[in-house]
Amino acid sequence: MPSAPLTGSGGHSPVFEDLAVGTELPPLTRGPLTTAHLMRWSSAMENWHRVHYDQQFTTGHDGLPSLLVSGSWKQHFLVQMARRWLGPDGWLAEIGFEFRKMNLAGETLTAWGRVSAVEGRDELGLVTCEIGIRNQDGVESTPGTAVGALPLRDGAGPVPYPFPEQW
Amino acid sequence: MGFVTAEHRALLGKPGRRQTAANPVSRESLRRLTQGAMELDPMLWDDEIAAGTRYGQVVAAPLFPLHAFTRAAGAPDPLDKLAADPDWDGSDGGGIRGLAPLDLPLRRILNGGTRARFFRLARIGDAISTQSRYVQIEDREGRSGPMVVVSIETDYRNQDDELLMRVRSTFIWR
Repeated sequence: MPSAPLTGSGGHSPVFEDLAVGTELPPLTRGPLTTAHLMRWSSAMENWHRVHYDQQFTTGHDGLPSLLVSGSWKQHFLVQMARRWLGPDGWLAEIGFEFRKMNLAGETLTAWGRVSAVEGRDELGLVTCEIGIRNQDGVESTPGTAVGALPLRDGAGPVPYPFPEQW
Repeated sequence: MGFVTAEHRALLGKPGRRQTAANPVSRESLRRLTQGAMELDPMLWDDEIAAGTRYGQVVAAPLFPLHAFTRAAGAPDPLDKLAADPDWDGSDGGGIRGLAPLDLPLRRILNGGTRARFFRLARIGDAISTQSRYVQIEDREGRSGPMVVVSIETDYRNQDDELLMRVRSTFIWR
């Protein structure tokens, strides 16, 4: 169906009708996330919480093993992974997660996802995915859920933008 | 028996003060955040590619509004606090803008998770506002004793009052 894309990164969106529970999303890996990466993010968002850039304070005063990867960086990372998969015709409608474990400077992180439910509703294909972030040792830190919207093959048209507040 | 009082419950659903970011979304703020987040979607910076998308112009990544509240030019320096308290951890305490703080006799606050729903993407020039409300204040019995679960919903809107995203954050007081 002809419509302008919802992401600018090109590629293809998954076909909703081809998705099944268990379909894996292409993972996204970043790292090793050095202290320079952590400092750059803190500075970009003007967050001065010292556990992200002050090693002495973090290990001495706060008793943590090392500098922490910011939770807000990790949530952007999950969104990126999901949006990249949803592609030009899809919309990330919802994302939810919990910060269960810390990730430390030096770790390499992989955002992953797996389809857990598919539902055609109101001319939209809604796909729910289990998501999370694992480090290089496979330890999960940020489990959650994402819901994406895709057009239906025989539906009314593209995913609406702005996306409806009730769905 | 519990910590939650009728006064706490009276806060449920009441909109807090609406607050608007001092600095509008700019190409420069987008560049910094995009590079910091290691984002690779060119519609976040490339005018030509963005013109071919549904938005017709460069837009912000979905979670950008979370970071819109940067310090205004001439505003007091938050790092001045370090002179009086060298052990200050640099965080803003995680308070929610525009909401009355909860007076609970519990000291430890744990992050119980976040859920964001997206409706529109912010554009360059947008003045982003937030407004929050308590949507859950409940006594619970946890494994380590009594606790209170507090959920706050925050709407992020642009200058035309269009809803960009709605974020529900849950905190566990113990």
